[in-house]
Amino acid sequence: MNSLWWFALPVLLLPILWHRKKRVQAQAEPLASARFLPRTEPRQMRVWRWSDMLLLLLRCLLLACAIAWLADPVFPWRGDTVVVAGGTDAQWTEREIKAAGLGEADRLPLKASEALAWIGAHEREFKPEARLLVLGDIPMPATLPQFRRPVLLRTLATPAPRVDAHVAIFSTRAPQWRRLFAALGGPLRVVVDERPNPKTELIVWDLPDAPPATLRAPLWWTTDTAAFTELAQSKALGTMRYADGPRGRVWASTAWPPRDAAAARALLDTWRELHYGPLPYTAPSQAFAATHAAARSQASGALREFLMWALAALFAIERILTHARRR
Amino acid sequence: MAQVSSALLAHTTNLELVIRHVLAGLGQGVHAGRERGSGVEFSEYRAYAPGDEWRRVDWKLLARADRYYVREAERDSHVAVWLLLDASASMAEPSRSVPGLDKLAYARTLLACIGAIAQRQGDAFGLAVLANGRVQLVPAARGPRQLQRVLAKLQSVQAAGALPDADVLRSGLRFTQSPSLIFAATDFLDWPSPLSEALIRLRHMRHDVRAACLQTEAECTGGFDAGPAYRDPERDAAVFRFGADLRAGYLRNREQHFDTVTAHLRAHDVPLVHVQIEQAPGEVLRNWLRQGGRR
Repeated sequence: MNSLWWFALPVLLLPILWHRKKRVQAQAEPLASARFLPRTEPRQMRVWRWSDMLLLLLRCLLLACAIAWLADPVFPWRGDTVVVAGGTDAQWTEREIKAAGLGEADRLPLKASEALAWIGAHEREFKPEARLLVLGDIPMPATLPQFRRPVLLRTLATPAPRVDAHVAIFSTRAPQWRRLFAALGGPLRVVVDERPNPKTELIVWDLPDAPPATLRAPLWWTTDTAAFTELAQSKALGTMRYADGPRGRVWASTAWPPRDAAAARALLDTWRELHYGPLPYTAPSQAFAATHAAARSQASGALREFLMWALAALFAIERILTHARRR
Repeated sequence: MAQVSSALLAHTTNLELVIRHVLAGLGQGVHAGRERGSGVEFSEYRAYAPGDEWRRVDWKLLARADRYYVREAERDSHVAVWLLLDASASMAEPSRSVPGLDKLAYARTLLACIGAIAQRQGDAFGLAVLANGRVQLVPAARGPRQLQRVLAKLQSVQAAGALPDADVLRSGLRFTQSPSLIFAATDFLDWPSPLSEALIRLRHMRHDVRAACLQTEAECTGGFDAGPAYRDPERDAAVFRFGADLRAGYLRNREQHFDTVTAHLRAHDVPLVHVQIEQAPGEVLRNWLRQGGRR
């Protein structure tokens, strides 16, 4: 925990101790009949006498600054806030804000995928009474987020943007392959190119002879294992074998092109999930209640830059003063 | 007449005022003079000087000449009175109970009173101040002006330095021509010392030596503050400590020292009075003057 650094504040006592005069001989009063008394060692006592107050002040400030930099203090300064995910419908946003009664609140545009995580990291910046509303197409997080304050989440699913996948087909059974790709639903669309180009992401090699060595693509589908030498040592997964070669990754199966709808869906889904990621799932609208979860140890670092500048300036002034004093 | 207390001494630096008050209840003289009063045998007229007693002014002559003249008598006394003041640094020891009073001020008062008495009796009197390793001498003379001189000298004395050494004392204290009465005020903390030797030598030269040993009440009872460190004003820079545990040892050492002093002086027939500066000076003065008569 960064705030444990505040316990280092007693370090400030060190310059204070160094700056006081350590020992001063006690004044001796004249006493005429002192000769009848036993001699003693000159008594010395510690006296608090300050020297170089300016330098002492600077050094204390320097240490305090360093400790503050390490402790990374956060001051709650954000009031009511509406976090709006990018690309959210403006009218819907206004409506939701009005419904929540947060017309005066600050609006904070954030990326949809980072909004909840950002709130978790910057939670200490919000005033205790501040209300938080998150709007937009927020993807469902893997675990239920825990905040130390109530957070209201209103989501509106937006259609995912269309993604084109360029495919080149070398096959005598090209119509069958085209039918397979045409069956692909969702935002991923397949564009079948006549010849492979740099944008090609998948090459379907359904010919008995080996492909030219210069032809490269991230993924190859082949029905003839003999055409790719790397498939000799490949691993099998069901009826399919896969291997990484100099041309790219190769998936091979003699059962292709799939003959029934289930096999075709399984192949396409596997391809989409492994190469294009799962389709984001919009989280349902809900209200997160405040929990007693500990604050994130990862602090916001809002003051770090300022403190670093102050530290550098104080250090420079301290060095200059010390040098000038020695002269 | 109320006694002048030592506390009052601390309040004034005007020695004449103090003398007047101390001597008010102290009519008798220093010694039995051969001729009483201010002399019986007329010698000469002298112009009046401030400090002359009004009763010695010749009023008939004033009426005739419209000027003040004083009748000078033939030779009042044959005895010279010498005032010996130890003004070494240790005499600056203050009284720990009476603020503003120290040994030197007390000694100064005692000697000034004796000087005034001597002047009233018509005796010649002189002053020797021992300070800073030197002897400062005011030669013996008579009359009110001499008293002024002596008082001015006493007034200006500051306690400083150590006592002069034996050679300086021997050459400085050369008043052997006539029998003298020597009043020495010192603290006798150094013993034996050049001063003690000088006093005994003077006694052997048949002078009447009377010593007063000045101490403070705190010195006699060991009533010092245990808080601060102490140093000897006349010796090296050693530091001393006082505390309740050291009082018995202190008193034993001190008693031993002053027993030696007293025994030594008695052996040489020098009367010694122990004076606490917190005592009333009139009383002390009476004791001191009376002591010589008892011998």
